[in-house]
Amino acid sequence: MSAGSTRSKWSSETGPETLFGGKDASLFGRRQKRARGARLPVVAVTGFLGSGKTTLIRALLDKPEGASTAVVVNEYGEIGIDHALLRSSSDATVLLGNGCLCCNVRSDLQETLRTLFADRARGAVPSFVRVIIETSGLADPGPVLQTFATDRALGREFHLQALICVIDAVAGETNLARMPEARKQAALADRIIVTKSDLADTGASEHLVKRIATLNPAPVAIASNGEINPSFLLDEPAAVRRNFKLGEADHTHGLESFSLTFDEPLSWPGFEQAMAVLMSLRGPDLLRVKGFVALAECRGPVVVHVVQHVAHPLVELEDWPDADRQSRLVFVTRGLGRDQVARLFAGITAVASGEQRA
Amino acid sequence: MAETAIWNFKQLAHHELDGFGGIGEGMSIQIAKDGRRILWLAHESAPKNFTAVDVSDPRAPKLVARADLPQSHMRSNSLETVGDIMAVAYQTTQKGLQPAGFELFDISVPENPRSITFFDCSGPHSRGVHQLWFADGQYVHMSSGSPDFVPTHPKDDQFYRIIDVKNPSKPVEVGRWWLPGTKQGDSAPPPVRHPEHADTGFRPHNTNVYPERPDRAYLGYIDGGLVILDISDMAHPKMVSRWDYHPPYFGFTHTVVPFFDRNLLIVSDECTRTEGADWPKLVWIVDGREETNPVPISTCPLPPLQNFMRQGARYGAHNLYENLPKPNAWKSDRIVLGTYFNGGLRAYDTSNPYQPQEVGYFVPEPPARAPSGAIQINDVFVDERQIVYTVDRHVGGLYTLEMEF
Repeated sequence: MSAGSTRSKWSSETGPETLFGGKDASLFGRRQKRARGARLPVVAVTGFLGSGKTTLIRALLDKPEGASTAVVVNEYGEIGIDHALLRSSSDATVLLGNGCLCCNVRSDLQETLRTLFADRARGAVPSFVRVIIETSGLADPGPVLQTFATDRALGREFHLQALICVIDAVAGETNLARMPEARKQAALADRIIVTKSDLADTGASEHLVKRIATLNPAPVAIASNGEINPSFLLDEPAAVRRNFKLGEADHTHGLESFSLTFDEPLSWPGFEQAMAVLMSLRGPDLLRVKGFVALAECRGPVVVHVVQHVAHPLVELEDWPDADRQSRLVFVTRGLGRDQVARLFAGITAVASGEQRA
Repeated sequence: MAETAIWNFKQLAHHELDGFGGIGEGMSIQIAKDGRRILWLAHESAPKNFTAVDVSDPRAPKLVARADLPQSHMRSNSLETVGDIMAVAYQTTQKGLQPAGFELFDISVPENPRSITFFDCSGPHSRGVHQLWFADGQYVHMSSGSPDFVPTHPKDDQFYRIIDVKNPSKPVEVGRWWLPGTKQGDSAPPPVRHPEHADTGFRPHNTNVYPERPDRAYLGYIDGGLVILDISDMAHPKMVSRWDYHPPYFGFTHTVVPFFDRNLLIVSDECTRTEGADWPKLVWIVDGREETNPVPISTCPLPPLQNFMRQGARYGAHNLYENLPKPNAWKSDRIVLGTYFNGGLRAYDTSNPYQPQEVGYFVPEPPARAPSGAIQINDVFVDERQIVYTVDRHVGGLYTLEMEF
């Protein structure tokens, strides 16, 4: 190292962390224009056997909006039928042969998606712009959501754009009443599609929509002849709904859904610790937490997505989607109520902010 | 014919520039007095000199002006604007020809560029100016020959020159530097030449100077690698460091862009041979914390050679978006935008500098009449509205894009 005029002014801060810093540095990497950043969007479609998932997906693939879609089919039952149907109209279809998507086959899904991503990068498959996962009828959406949660999994390459639940108007009401898996699928979804309304009794669809509303305030659309507006399937969910609390109607089954809002920005340590406590003590009951958080340390809103004990990579957006700067979080839980969570947040954020006791 | 491949970019428009769509390495935005946003483009080769395009509406670019070269044995290739002054590089096909140097234009009326002066660099050993940097309105930093410069090897005919153009009608040279050993009479021995098939010269390509470090020039020195100069005394530039990675790599270090806030240097090679003959030509991420010892830490990942080598013409790195220190230019210390000839325009997020991640690409379909049958994306510029402009080297003209990543 020579002295004098050639001495770099940069050299005063020599840690490698400076290589990550800079004016545009955020706590969570680069600020993004949208939650998915540059990652590949994934739409996961859940719904019971016979609910019409394949028909909906096939109809989408036939439309211009569905071009360049890779479909991952997780078979349950007669292997290959759905696969055969889809391959004709899709660029890249991959068949998972392991039956129901649950924790022990999650690695198969990861492996499949990893292969798809690598094949796309090396040009072995066409340059698809999204992935649709058609899950099997009894699939628990939780593990699918977790697949995209961490860097070690696929959170760096893929972004869960939307979790769609398909419920048919003929059998849906019965399934919701009898099958906990059906209720969970409905409760966790970002959007819900009601199918087969033409085959059901008069008024059945309306009744079903009301029933769904007791489980999940998400948008519900009624398919017509097995088709739906492509954007209802493919778009990023709209702004998170605020100020609702569901669950009473379903109390006996223990699923609850509610929202929390915070008028003032939270501190990152306070928010992080509150979530850590929740995930640590009640992870299994924290079926899904999603929303935007205003952090004192960040310019833009931070997109939060937690599934049980794992958090998706946090993303800071360049700007808020609307004029509202409130933090807003939606919780879907099992036996964990809004008041408990609200008190936990209030307590921890107050301690973190150094508030003096009155 | 390959279809357009596009990921996380949105194409807004394509303008073939009315049959003269071969664009070099000069792209500069001027805001005209009437508010129009004019993109000035230097042509890659004769017969055209430069073209001005109104890109106020990036969805509907409009041709505004175009100039022919004074001679067919020359090319402009490089230009920059500051306010209503434009500097255009002139390089002749052979040494000893004229005009070789740069010309300054008054572009206050974009339809009618008026010559202010011509700075002559011609000489028996000079082809003139290949590339110039003009960002502060006062100094032109350039890769040029000169009548009084006799290189030790004919391929080392250009060197770094600083010209004061504060008075645009009377440009004055204020400093120069060349790699020791490349000028006859130097006490240093001439540099060891690359093998004949990879001998592209010890001479600068891009010569970037930024207000964050007005005392530094960042040079892509072709076969000489990366060179950082101390230009605090412009009359006597001194070398701070040189990173030479050839051999084993082929030469042609092209551009050096510092990300000052992060102590990073982004360094591009230029692919100059077809069908992968000089593979790999890369964009390097260099740890610049200790400027006397630049250390490469990663490269921007590229699709495999076999995907592109038979598409025609060149595939590999070339120009970078250079964070031009001007009000109508975008600044990012995260995103690297590079042009890769038939690999198109490619974008990388360097948030983790050890693992740059590709976040987008735009590989347009080969233009009709492309001589090689391939697209050859050559250069890129981004304005402060975050509109991306990229150009084809031969016939494709101008593409306007939005970044969605």
